[in-house]
Amino acid sequence: MTSRTRGPLAGVALLALLGSTAAVGLGAEDVSKSATVEENSSQKTEDKVHITLQTVPPRKAVVKWGNKTLGMIPVPRPLVVVRPRDSGPLDLVIRATGFLPVHTRAYTFSDSRVAIKLTPVEEKNTLFGFRAEVPPPAAANPDGGAPPPAPMPPPAPASVPQR
Amino acid sequence: MKYAAQFAVQSCLVLLLGCDVRGVASLPPPQTTSSAKTAAATDKPPAPATSPVTSPPPAPEPAAPAASPSLPPDDDRALVIRDGQESWTSATGAARSGYTIIDLRDDWTPYIFEEHRGPDGQPMPNRYRRVFLGLANDTLDEDGEPLPAGEKNYLELYGIPPSLGVLRARFLEDEKQKCHEGANLAAMEAVETVGYVAPEKVKQEEQRIARLRSELEDARKKNHAQTLAELVAKDPKLEPKVKLVERRGAEKLAMTEVERRLACEGMFKHGVKHNAGIYDDAMRLAVRRFQQKHMIYEANYLRQKTMDALARPPLANDHEALLRVLRERVVAAAGVVEDGSVDSKTGPATYTDASGQAIPVRNLVEELTNSAVEQLGLTSPEAALAFFKRHSAADFHHLRAAVRLPALPEYYGSDMDLSIVIDRGEVWYDLPWDTSGVRHPQPRKRYPSFHVYVKYREQRIPLARWRTTVGGWRAEQASDGYEYFRYKGSDVGPRVIRNVVAGPVWIAPESTPIRTLVKTKTVNGLWQRVVNYDELGPGFLSAYGLIAGYLVVPGKGGKPDWDNGIRAHGSSEYLSMYSSEGYSHGCHRLPNHLAIRLYSFILRHRPMRILGDQPTNIARQFLLDNDVFEIRVPSRGYQYVLEPPLPVDVLEGEIKGTLKTPILTYVPKPGVRYPGPPPAVPNSAEGRAGGVSPGRSAGGDEEGAAP
Repeated sequence: MTSRTRGPLAGVALLALLGSTAAVGLGAEDVSKSATVEENSSQKTEDKVHITLQTVPPRKAVVKWGNKTLGMIPVPRPLVVVRPRDSGPLDLVIRATGFLPVHTRAYTFSDSRVAIKLTPVEEKNTLFGFRAEVPPPAAANPDGGAPPPAPMPPPAPASVPQR
Repeated sequence: MKYAAQFAVQSCLVLLLGCDVRGVASLPPPQTTSSAKTAAATDKPPAPATSPVTSPPPAPEPAAPAASPSLPPDDDRALVIRDGQESWTSATGAARSGYTIIDLRDDWTPYIFEEHRGPDGQPMPNRYRRVFLGLANDTLDEDGEPLPAGEKNYLELYGIPPSLGVLRARFLEDEKQKCHEGANLAAMEAVETVGYVAPEKVKQEEQRIARLRSELEDARKKNHAQTLAELVAKDPKLEPKVKLVERRGAEKLAMTEVERRLACEGMFKHGVKHNAGIYDDAMRLAVRRFQQKHMIYEANYLRQKTMDALARPPLANDHEALLRVLRERVVAAAGVVEDGSVDSKTGPATYTDASGQAIPVRNLVEELTNSAVEQLGLTSPEAALAFFKRHSAADFHHLRAAVRLPALPEYYGSDMDLSIVIDRGEVWYDLPWDTSGVRHPQPRKRYPSFHVYVKYREQRIPLARWRTTVGGWRAEQASDGYEYFRYKGSDVGPRVIRNVVAGPVWIAPESTPIRTLVKTKTVNGLWQRVVNYDELGPGFLSAYGLIAGYLVVPGKGGKPDWDNGIRAHGSSEYLSMYSSEGYSHGCHRLPNHLAIRLYSFILRHRPMRILGDQPTNIARQFLLDNDVFEIRVPSRGYQYVLEPPLPVDVLEGEIKGTLKTPILTYVPKPGVRYPGPPPAVPNSAEGRAGGVSPGRSAGGDEEGAAP
């Protein structure tokens, strides 16, 4: 489980950190002041989990769970969704004006805080997965635009251990 | 409590008296048993079954489990069957008397998903246990959300056997249905397989066969032959054509029967239209569903095992399923792994026991299962149906059975000197295609194999040997957003497995093709795109399957272990293991049910520590079209630590082809236009580990497809 290299997890760690930061100050007393959406209210408290949703940067955002609108995140307060414990995950879509919609998931195994990072529409090129368009080939290209054959890369030196 | 105390006293008395049960009052029959008579108190336990091949040593003579004068409480009640008569006994007492308690309850899970308690006695919950049980009981889907009423999961093929309650319902339903009645069995038996013709080529194929038929008819007349057989006798050159025409005709008839049976068993998915006689998507999905139900590894095709199952009466198939389910329960109860897979053409391997005798390595999985089935009287579909009629669905909330299994070999113990050897078989480093994209075959005669050994009295005894995978050429998404090929090899040399994770989560590296990370599903009434957690886990479809062991080079001198991202894990992509062109991303895969058996066995026969659930707060976003998708991972799974770690040796195998070392850079896909030269490859453990096949589905439809 221990790895000496941590490259691609750097972004992961950043988001995890954002999650922690957004959660600062959201103790039990803060939750009680938050907008709360509760279902199955007949259940005992210990059978329920609280899912605290907040946007980063803080922006009003609508939270949808399939066909159902769970509510609006009323910044600066979070939206707290109360669900039966261990009742399966919630696939949520968060929409804020001027930002790209975010599809995320909340779990009901235990109380949790979900900090949703919002990205302005004009900054979508900062997100992983953004693909720059390949410029169109020159009209006179005799090969019809097909790329030149990829050169065969050299094999690894024999002394390099396979990793 | 009163009768529990009374029962405890009774049990103690029985134990003190050397388990002589004579004189113990007869028991009331099981409450739901209408026909079972009260067991005679003097009944002797059934004789141990013996294997004709391995002649196991007889088990020590335990006394018959004491039949309880009053009904033991649910949580300590075990069914014992003697001479076909059922009675209840104390599970604790029976276990003390040398009986093995087989758990037949609906809330059974394999050992790896059991909920353990920490040193402080507090429960250590396993997040995936609930989903596993929901899938086994047809109450939840793979995301842990409620399954629509009447839906069935059929996930045995992927490592989640149905519960006994589900099987009971299946038996009772199939007793009434008439799928086998009026079936044209002759049509089914006339063919071993039904050849696949792509839907778009059906018409063309029909025309070709019609032309051939006409040609043969002309030849028959010309040769003055009465039949085509006579024609072949006169002109043997025409035999292949005659055979093809006859085979296609037989297949057409068989296909009609297949369609009828699949429809009768409810295998066709609602809303997917099937055109009769054509192997279209609806047919493919129905065949896959049927194979999932009956645990048949035949890649959605109508091959021999599928055809055999389609020709059998439904109750016979149900009985086969019951035997498979019982096998996993018996294996779990007895903690064995030997399944006959190390047998060679000349018979089983042997070892020398303490008395100096050569003893064959037994197929304990079959031997113990057969013994349990025999003792439980479940040897035929009819007997099994009668058993399920005697026991209500509610019985499977508490039902356990006491059986006397043959003694385990003398090398068994709580601290066995186990080890694993992975032989990579024949390995190719060459590119499997040229710059035009033309594929070059890379045949293998010796495939990767996974070997489990125990060291005993200075001998290395083979216990199991299974097909596995090694890495090969795979598609990866580079940091420029484009896909390239990369050789994802399996490294070689001594390793150890220190950490074993049940319900592992694969943290998809950024090199994972984004199109594999999104799926569509109905969420609270709305059909929408969601992150594809099937691939990430925990789950039977996950890149790491239902359980994974992490191969590392152990750290020395205070340095941490070195993790190259290689795991030995379960997988639902069975074609990557069983097809000639199957590869992984470097990991060593096993079918989920074998991986579960393996690690359950290891964890029960090696010193280990349970760390339990490993919560984390990992999140990662990516863009697809104009939507942001966020992967959220709340846990890495349920962790066990082997102390000391399990030794693993990965053998290099035989390097075929021209290149003798692998290419370490990205290789552009033939025919794809790129914005520039390939970026550098990521080099983290997660970046190298696991991985999913683009466009894959369970079973691995696309696995091994030409890159």
